[in-house]
Amino acid sequence: MNFKASIVGFAVAAALSAQVFAADAIKVGLSGPFTGGSAPMGTSMRDGVKLAAQEINAKGGINGRKIELIERDDEAKNERGVQVSQELINKEKVVATLGYINTGVSLASQRFYQEAKIPVLNNVATGSIVTHQFDDQPDNYVFRTSANDTIQSGMIVKEVVDKRKYTKIAILADSTNYGQLGREDVEKALAAKGLKAVAVEKYNIKDVDMTPQLLKAKEAGAQVVVTYGIGPELAQIANGMVKLGWKVPMIGSWTLSMGNFIDNAGPNAEGALMPQTFIQEPNTPKRKAFIEAYQKAYKVDRIPSPVSAAQGYDSMYLLAAAIKQAGNTEGPKIREALENLKDPVEGVITVYNKPYTHNDHEAITANIPVIGTVKGGRVVYAYEEDKKVGGEVRTKAAKAAPAAKAPAKEKAK
Amino acid sequence: MEILLQLIFSGIALGMIYAVIAFGYQLTFATSGTLNFGQGEALMLGALVGLSLAGNVLGGPYLNFWLMIPLVMVFGLLQGALVEFIGVRPAIKIKSEFGWIMSTIALAIIFKNVAENIWGKDDLKFPSPVSEAPLHFLGANVLPMEIIIVVGALAMMLAVEIFNRKSIYGKAVIATSNDRDAAGLMGINTRLVITFSYALSSMTAAFAGVLIAPVTLTGATMGSVLGLKAFAVAIIGGLTSGVGVIVGGLILGIAETTTGFYISTGYKDVPGLVLLLLVLAVKPAGLFGKTAIKKV
Repeated sequence: MNFKASIVGFAVAAALSAQVFAADAIKVGLSGPFTGGSAPMGTSMRDGVKLAAQEINAKGGINGRKIELIERDDEAKNERGVQVSQELINKEKVVATLGYINTGVSLASQRFYQEAKIPVLNNVATGSIVTHQFDDQPDNYVFRTSANDTIQSGMIVKEVVDKRKYTKIAILADSTNYGQLGREDVEKALAAKGLKAVAVEKYNIKDVDMTPQLLKAKEAGAQVVVTYGIGPELAQIANGMVKLGWKVPMIGSWTLSMGNFIDNAGPNAEGALMPQTFIQEPNTPKRKAFIEAYQKAYKVDRIPSPVSAAQGYDSMYLLAAAIKQAGNTEGPKIREALENLKDPVEGVITVYNKPYTHNDHEAITANIPVIGTVKGGRVVYAYEEDKKVGGEVRTKAAKAAPAAKAPAKEKAK
Repeated sequence: MEILLQLIFSGIALGMIYAVIAFGYQLTFATSGTLNFGQGEALMLGALVGLSLAGNVLGGPYLNFWLMIPLVMVFGLLQGALVEFIGVRPAIKIKSEFGWIMSTIALAIIFKNVAENIWGKDDLKFPSPVSEAPLHFLGANVLPMEIIIVVGALAMMLAVEIFNRKSIYGKAVIATSNDRDAAGLMGINTRLVITFSYALSSMTAAFAGVLIAPVTLTGATMGSVLGLKAFAVAIIGGLTSGVGVIVGGLILGIAETTTGFYISTGYKDVPGLVLLLLVLAVKPAGLFGKTAIKKV
């Protein structure tokens, strides 16, 4: 083929494909930290979403249209997240966005989606206020597929107080939005049990020495350290405890499952406990297929953050189901569809049967996550009884409010 | 009492990390009146090169920890000379007051980006050459690696001081720092001396990098916070005094750990910075610095 012909051929092909794309592809934004201390969560989430998008595209896409993911690295920085959201909305014209690992980035960025009436599915960020940022507005475009901090802190406190009967609790949280909002939730959950932490300590990202924080906790007679932070500093805490020769259990938010905590703390990470929506255990056919597909596609044995990967994967399927039901890609229509999903969506974490309503944008309820623990450099079920029934998919609990109302009605009758 | 001792031990280890980086600032300031604002990045590069040689990140380990150190120091020498050649020499040549500030900061950012591309942006674990089990000492716990940091940093600074005072090359360094023009007239190649001081300063930083890496985590961003804290130490101790940076480092390190414990961990960076402001207000040349009279 001569040069001219090849150029003409290329141009025609490019024009055709551009046309096909312009007519067909559904653009979905993807925002998360793919670099830095939060990267294991960000990349696992991204890879989970990509896996789901590939599967959907391989089956012919949504209503005959393919999904095109527009990935952007928000570097876990609030200001970068704002830039990314503006680019995705105004330049790329996405129909919806999946992502946000960091509560701070999510809070800073999602108001642009709210203003543009474009749905956002937070698939990892856990701050309790994430889905309640726009409660004063008639419609809320923020949805979530992760276990929020109210659920997680509740589980942590239940584990610490009810199960293990500790009364002297130290809280170590980092100084980010994530750490401090999480600390508040833990303190609230403790207060509900009539307890107060004996030490509440703070540290900065990149701190290399945790001695003062740990000594204070130790001196206060803490029987357990509750953590709210991300991988690298959590590793410093675990290593610092060994240095001080002070070994108490470490129980914290789900970030204790991050690969960079487990790797950097090594043997000191063993036994750490945390709530998990998903544990890399092929105990249902869907989960088995997901884990194998992930391992094959990204050539890893241990998913860097299995929870993020699973939540990312499920968020893509939920969005796809909503777009399919809406029949078009207008933001308000997708939101309405998400709030009234007719058919159950089978994800790896659970089967989403009407996951959202107009006032409830949380897909995960307190009964879904389980307690996981670090064992042999991996996250496994902490309790045998959870592992035994791990194959039974836990679905969203019926809302407490209607359940409470029903007996009242009975009485009225 | 044991608590205070534990805090002081941790503070000393932390302070010596700051001191050895601050020492690098002091070396170049003495000869040329300029500073390498990429000192933290020199430390980071040293740690990452060390990790590539002694760890398994780039197909290694090729060498054991102790054999790797001389190679890292050679790397530091070259890296420092490069910074001087690209960033500082042109500024000194045109007698620019601020050019070197911008260029050393620019080089620091470039080094960080290069490191991110080679080693990624994640924090990596540096295998510890000695046991990671703590030693008990007067009722407090110390990591063997922390002792190595303190001893290594002191030995490093002592070696450079002895070199400067005893050897003929060192005398050229001192002569240049006393009066650059006069030294030039006496036949000392002052330009080479300045290059050499930059090489030495990055070498100490690279050495500090491999020393502290087993205790902290290793990654492209490990240097920035440490470089900044060390700068505060250099100001507190005085940019012209070797003893000053050690004392300054210990003050800042111990202030951080004790404030964290006795006041609040949220305020642990405050006393060091208050001290910095006080020193600048009362004795701007630093606690141990010679007051220089700038003739205009």
